[in-house]
Amino acid sequence: MPSITSFNLEHIHLLLNHVPTIGSVVALGLLLVAYIRRDEGLKLVGLEVLFAIALLTLPAYMTGVAAFQKLRDEPGVSATAIRLHQDVALYGFTWMEFAGFIGWVALWQARRHGRAARGLVATSTGLLIVAFIVMARAANLGGDIRHPELGGAVATMDSADFLASKISNVMVNSPWAWPASETVHFLGLSLTFGVLLAINLRILGVMRRVPFAEVHRLLPWGMLGFGLNLITGMLFFVGQPRQYIDSAPFYWKIVFLMVAGANFLYLTVFRKAWADTRGAWTANGTDKAMAFVSMFAWLAILYCGRMLPFIGHAF
Amino acid sequence: MAFLNWLESLSLSVWVHEGTSIWAQPTVMTLHTMGMGVLVGASWVLDLRLLGISRGIPLSSFRWVFRAVAISLAVNVVTGVLLFMARATLWGTAFPFLIKILLVVASAATLLPIRNYVLQSDPEHREVSSRAKMLALLSIATWAAAITAGRLLAYTVAG
Repeated sequence: MPSITSFNLEHIHLLLNHVPTIGSVVALGLLLVAYIRRDEGLKLVGLEVLFAIALLTLPAYMTGVAAFQKLRDEPGVSATAIRLHQDVALYGFTWMEFAGFIGWVALWQARRHGRAARGLVATSTGLLIVAFIVMARAANLGGDIRHPELGGAVATMDSADFLASKISNVMVNSPWAWPASETVHFLGLSLTFGVLLAINLRILGVMRRVPFAEVHRLLPWGMLGFGLNLITGMLFFVGQPRQYIDSAPFYWKIVFLMVAGANFLYLTVFRKAWADTRGAWTANGTDKAMAFVSMFAWLAILYCGRMLPFIGHAF
Repeated sequence: MAFLNWLESLSLSVWVHEGTSIWAQPTVMTLHTMGMGVLVGASWVLDLRLLGISRGIPLSSFRWVFRAVAISLAVNVVTGVLLFMARATLWGTAFPFLIKILLVVASAATLLPIRNYVLQSDPEHREVSSRAKMLALLSIATWAAAITAGRLLAYTVAG
């Protein structure tokens, strides 16, 4: 069986790189139509699409970094052009994740209170517009890497001026940046673990008489942990990309992160549990299977992360 | 020191420390981290409830937390002892390690009065006493400090 790292990451990147740009257009289109029609339901659909796009932007960025490491020494490829593309993509990624995060909070609020606060939906839409503009520029710069004939001037920049290089410099050389980020990463994982344990146990039949909506009140705390770990995780990845891009456990970790992210969305949007305000709802087989998948995915994420130095080669 | 040397020379300790098997140190460490996630996470969820988050859940519905804590604490005591044995002379003489252990003990100790409070709570009564709130804050802080101290051991002692 071929290892997960032996996939052609360049091709996966060429496939995934369309997700942030085209996905933003779709999400923006839905939100725009929803605003014009004053359709609250459609707004939520737009936010759901936005959240899914924000998740997929993570592997889109990471496969790009992997492709860079493979391509950088090839003749006819300008490493500076790739670095510039990568740096703009990192900004785009950051905007996209903030848009997705705020969008998720709006979705959760709509679930909890019946409708999302206007300000949150508007903020999320605004962030998405910025993310789209930055991503479109990144996509344009990405095209210049292989198609200089299209007229892109190859940038002349000192490699130390790039954001990724600056982050990497701090992460590697500062005595406290890496340990502090790891500590936050562990605190964040504990918070997420605890919250999802409570919610999944409720689905599996523990705390049976408690209304699901009450347990679900905890979910933003789980998302807070997830957010902290996305930030610190990206600091590790941008800081030392070569530790991760050809590491099998790291790829599995990203795969299971996508599963866990989809589960976050599922927990926010599924309806029947929410109709229950008296604690009468009992989960069916599918809901219970989802709860098991969620807990398995989180244990797998932790396993892959902790095994990075042993099965992979980090540190 | 003689005891620590003896502990470290046991074949089990040597296996954990030097074994090339994935089941040696890598798995013991991973289980220790998983136990940490469940132990601290479950404690924090209850602490958040005591502080007023998801007030709609009756305190008496949180009994599962103590079972989750008992199981994960057992896992972490066993894996923790194994990790200690593997490098007994290192950990046994390191001051930061002592701090971590004291913080873990202090955090676990906050759970005892919290457990009494939860088990004796009236299912209809939703207000939480200010003493229980203080305990919840203390519990959140000591667990966070314990994780911090534990993570930094990799840099201060074993680095």
